[in-house]
Amino acid sequence: MSDNKVKNTNKHEAVNEFNQTLKGESLTADAWKRLKKNKMSMFGLVMVALYALLASLAPILPIHAYDRQILDHQYLPPSLTKTAGELMIERQIDLIGRLMAKEKRSEMNEAEKERIAQMEYDVDHQTMVIDGKEILVHKMRYLLGTDDLGRDMLSRIIYGGQVSMAIGLIGTITSVIIGIVIGAIAGYVGGKVDYFISRFIEVMYGLPYMLLVIILMAIFGKNIFNLFIALSVVSWLTTARVMRGQIMSLKNSVFVEAARSMGASPGRIIFKHLVPNTLGIIIVYATLRVPAFIMLESFLSFLGLGVSAPYASWGSLIQDSMQGMTNFPWRLIWPAFAMALFLFSMNFLGDGLRDAFDPQSKNRV
Amino acid sequence: MTKYILKRFLGMIPTLLIITTVAFIIMRIAPGGPFDRERAIPPAVQANIEAKYHLDEPLIKQYFRYLGGIIRGDFGPSYKYKDQTVTDLISNSLPHSLLLGTLALMAATFFGVLAGIIAALNQNTWLDYTAMSIAVFGVSVPAFVIGPVLMLIFAMKLKILPTSGWITGPDGWKTVLMPLIALSMSYFASIARLSRSSVLEVIRSDYVRTAKAKGLSPTMIILKHVLKGAMLPVVSYLGIAYSGIITGSVVIEQIFRIPGLGRFFVQSSLNRDYTMIMGVIIVYSTVVILMNFLVDILYSFLDPRISYQ
Repeated sequence: MSDNKVKNTNKHEAVNEFNQTLKGESLTADAWKRLKKNKMSMFGLVMVALYALLASLAPILPIHAYDRQILDHQYLPPSLTKTAGELMIERQIDLIGRLMAKEKRSEMNEAEKERIAQMEYDVDHQTMVIDGKEILVHKMRYLLGTDDLGRDMLSRIIYGGQVSMAIGLIGTITSVIIGIVIGAIAGYVGGKVDYFISRFIEVMYGLPYMLLVIILMAIFGKNIFNLFIALSVVSWLTTARVMRGQIMSLKNSVFVEAARSMGASPGRIIFKHLVPNTLGIIIVYATLRVPAFIMLESFLSFLGLGVSAPYASWGSLIQDSMQGMTNFPWRLIWPAFAMALFLFSMNFLGDGLRDAFDPQSKNRV
Repeated sequence: MTKYILKRFLGMIPTLLIITTVAFIIMRIAPGGPFDRERAIPPAVQANIEAKYHLDEPLIKQYFRYLGGIIRGDFGPSYKYKDQTVTDLISNSLPHSLLLGTLALMAATFFGVLAGIIAALNQNTWLDYTAMSIAVFGVSVPAFVIGPVLMLIFAMKLKILPTSGWITGPDGWKTVLMPLIALSMSYFASIARLSRSSVLEVIRSDYVRTAKAKGLSPTMIILKHVLKGAMLPVVSYLGIAYSGIITGSVVIEQIFRIPGLGRFFVQSSLNRDYTMIMGVIIVYSTVVILMNFLVDILYSFLDPRISYQ
């Protein structure tokens, strides 16, 4: 018996009638255990963390400025080893080679040779002042190539990701707050208010409400602030619905009755007692909203109604790449890949979180 | 039953009225008008233009004039496309959008349910994992990424599909393939996930066990019992899916240069072509609301537990 003596210091630990130690586990710890078992979700978590780190460290990373235009460096293909100058000369030789094939010559003429020599000289000597330092401009490297204005694709993707992720995050928070308030009121007050709000949500669900957002953006001007407003206005529906259900299931519980009998106002009951009890589930659903929000933002940017130059987002980068897609495929492939990987990870993480926190909701769309 | 259908049908009218009103109000409070130019127009000309389009009347009168027009199927003149009415423009472009959207919905439903059933019947095998990986991919990657990437691969590098064009010509069906795949991918994915989980639920139910015990062949069980039960969540999802497909077709039409309503929509939003935007919004909403209505009716046929009160 003495072996089984339990030190009851931890308040979560208890002893049952068979003298076995029962370690109480909080909902979060339990959920974390379930999440850890889900390999794809852990992959998602790591990837999302990596993206967030890259985006927030963007200003101190050794990458080019996202808006620096060097027109000589237009449309350079991605290369791990070659400098911008080498790629420029390569392209020139290729161009001359095609001209020679067309004119059926086997040798370069004098003017062409001179052009190449001039370029080789320029590559070794042309300088440019960047951040107060004079550097050989054509010795720069672009790992993921450049765009139509000679801007570095890698840094545009990272900074574009920053914009996309920020919009996803802040937009989600805004829409979740709207959803919490409306859903909580509908769930708690009930009756006519609830009927009206529920009907409204139903109607909005059935509508192509993105079209409204397009109109709002087109008419009130495209800037990031309007983008937030327009997207938040239409994306609180799901949160409100989940919140309403949660509140309705909680509002007749004992602690609410106790609060009510002590004379707490409805506002206090909702926001001090009910909302904190539902936050876990709400946060999980919010995680699933982030990729949806990023998709909405890039959808608008793709139509030219979202983020405007010189800023970029993943959507606007993909839109920009549509011109000259055959010749410069890297302009499409890398932003598309970066975006798809992030959304993929985010969805896996969100699904995993939902299964972990809310096991009954498995595989809902 | 008839009463239920009638009630649902009449229920669409207030919804449409609300949409029309909201669209009308947004248009009128929006800054800038369709006739704003860089240089100021002489006041007399401005007044003439406004009189021609009845913009000088009180708002409430304009609103009822507009409503009256819609009931007669007249959406007014386009402010930007001279000599054409909005009704003409819409009736020329809507069929293309409807064709694309409906094909996409049908493809997504058919292949989604198929993939869901296959995945569920082979749970935790490579078939299941493959189908579900494709599904998560489809949910994660937006249509405007899939579209250009498909175009790059199949039209520009492999040159087996045409880059643009819509239906006309001997190889017309080829022009439909890429827009269809790009548009339906994410709905295919959602439907596959939905039907997988509902099939998993249904095959463990008592009535399927009874059918098995009676000695019904597996194919018959799937066709007669599993499919029907598994279709319920899918059917209720179709309304939302169609609304999404309509929205998605706006970008798909831009990418593949399809002469549908979506391209007009973005263009007229940027031009502040008020009558055109409102016409498009009302038509799109009507299509989506009608679709939801059909889905509800279909649902009530499939699920006898629904009451029609």
